[in-house]
Amino acid sequence: MSVLRTTARAPIARTALAVLAVVAVLALTGGLLAPLDPLAQDTARILQGPSGAHLLGTDYLGRDVLSRLLAGTGLSVLTAAEAVAAAMLLGVVPGLASVRFGAALSWISLRAVDALMTLPFTLFAIAAVGVLGNGLHQAMLALGVLLAPLFFRVTRAAALGLDRAQYVEAAELMGASRSWILRVHIWRKVLPTVAVTTAHALATSLLAVSSLTFLGIGVQPPAPTWGGMLAGDLGFLAQQPWAPALPAALIMLTVGALNLLADAVRDAEPADAVRGAGPADTAVRKEHRDGLAAV
Amino acid sequence: MTLTTDRPAAPPATGRPTEEPLLRIRGLGVSYGTGARVLDGIDLDARAGEILGVIGETGSGKTTLARAVVGLAPVTTGRITVDGTDRTALRGRALREARRAGAVQYMFQDPLRSLDPDLAVRHLIGEPLAVAGIPADVRAERVLTALDLTGLDRALLDRTPGRLSGGQRQRVALARAIVTRPRLLLADEPVSALDASNRNHVLRLLDRLRHELGLAVVVISHDLDSLAGVADRIAVLYRGRLVEQGPAEAVLTRPLHPYSALLAASAPGLDRTRRAGLALLRTPSPAAPADAACVFAHRCPFADADCRELPQPQPRGADRTAACHHAPAWREHLSR
Repeated sequence: MSVLRTTARAPIARTALAVLAVVAVLALTGGLLAPLDPLAQDTARILQGPSGAHLLGTDYLGRDVLSRLLAGTGLSVLTAAEAVAAAMLLGVVPGLASVRFGAALSWISLRAVDALMTLPFTLFAIAAVGVLGNGLHQAMLALGVLLAPLFFRVTRAAALGLDRAQYVEAAELMGASRSWILRVHIWRKVLPTVAVTTAHALATSLLAVSSLTFLGIGVQPPAPTWGGMLAGDLGFLAQQPWAPALPAALIMLTVGALNLLADAVRDAEPADAVRGAGPADTAVRKEHRDGLAAV
Repeated sequence: MTLTTDRPAAPPATGRPTEEPLLRIRGLGVSYGTGARVLDGIDLDARAGEILGVIGETGSGKTTLARAVVGLAPVTTGRITVDGTDRTALRGRALREARRAGAVQYMFQDPLRSLDPDLAVRHLIGEPLAVAGIPADVRAERVLTALDLTGLDRALLDRTPGRLSGGQRQRVALARAIVTRPRLLLADEPVSALDASNRNHVLRLLDRLRHELGLAVVVISHDLDSLAGVADRIAVLYRGRLVEQGPAEAVLTRPLHPYSALLAASAPGLDRTRRAGLALLRTPSPAAPADAACVFAHRCPFADADCRELPQPQPRGADRTAACHHAPAWREHLSR
């Protein structure tokens, strides 16, 4: 937990947290802040530039871009968060369990994760919505399943290093149960690693939601999302070449803030081997890089 | 500050060892993966109120001996009983329950590694009680008692191990070990990382605790100086075998095994006169057979053809054994 406190004191983390706080406020209140109805079409005013009536102009159906950006924040962020929450549930819990609950569970979970990591993201998402039906939650679940191996491997690598720590052996000598050791001695040390992974996964998920929306999977029109607006604007580059930059800037800003926060958490982790996680720490970072690359 | 024990079979806290051994080790053998014996044929006793020093060089099996007693090393042969309970037969839930009872405690060599760096001192000391399900109010009281017994300032309660000195950390480890009111405490190199002042403090503390709590204390050390002033009895290990054991004074001043003599003569803090034979003790015998069964024969100045046969520990006076074919006759060579 001291890692998180150290992170909160870092200037770069504070900047990232400020950006994310603004995004969070917009996600919660964006629809209320929108000056116009984000779904209202005005075919007489399509593809207009910024003006007093429409501060960021209108899109190809005459809808107010600013209102759609504000109203779309919640859906964009919450869908990404839903996917990451599913990934954490499917990845962190088995990752911890695989370390302390027997070789059989470890072997089965590792093979399942290996199988998941071989699946191409887009094809799996299309197959999932084909089986489960095209809906927001189905798409997020599919994304969560594909992100879960990242959490699994990172959590497992961190927990494996800690599992061999002498204070864990000392706890075993006290008669501590497996769940006690996980809760008291391992979980709180895995938490910073999970926090870093979560920040990176949120960023990845935000981009993935945008990609899925671009493909017509997940959030359905006319509901506004950043990814959906980006996809729509790309069809009218000749008329409004600057239009995709607005949702893209919001995506980049949020993803950038998440990545900066993740880096700050990672940098706040102690570099010494007091926790017995010296070599394991390297393994965690490798798992992290490999996992993100796979997604 | 005293710590009363609520164990029904608690020994009288007189400081005088009782006759019946609390820890009884018979024929202990420990092997790891490759099958090579790390410990072989160890017979050892420790009585309540007694400090037993286990000494030997690095790799002699001292730590493995202690880890076998607490169930951290695989016992391949022999039995270890504590207060009449066969610890080697405990498995699964029974082992966990025995550990939660806290009658046997083990102090790891390095408190920096054995104390969770994220937990405050109050949680570290109280953890064995929390694991055993002791209510929080009782736990808090016993943590304070253990803290006082080990001479730690209560202001340290909320500090993490990283914010303690080496001596303080060692005492926190000791406080955690005694908070369960154990009968047997195994301390692995408790003073090896400490300066002289802290070393004396911790050793005095162990001495006091065995008096006040009627503890049987097994102190593992490679440093004879550490044991000289505090141990009642000393057991000497060499390459996994017990070569000599007996009253500390007798083992240090009149060793019966050449390896014990070499250790005693090599100790820098000991009497110079005892170091007179050091050169001879360091000279291996040219008559040592290549196929000697005695583990010390290749370094022994007195080894001969007899050493082809493995020497078994033989009684040599009251409460004393030595595993040497030439004990005590080899001592005559030193005086020549």
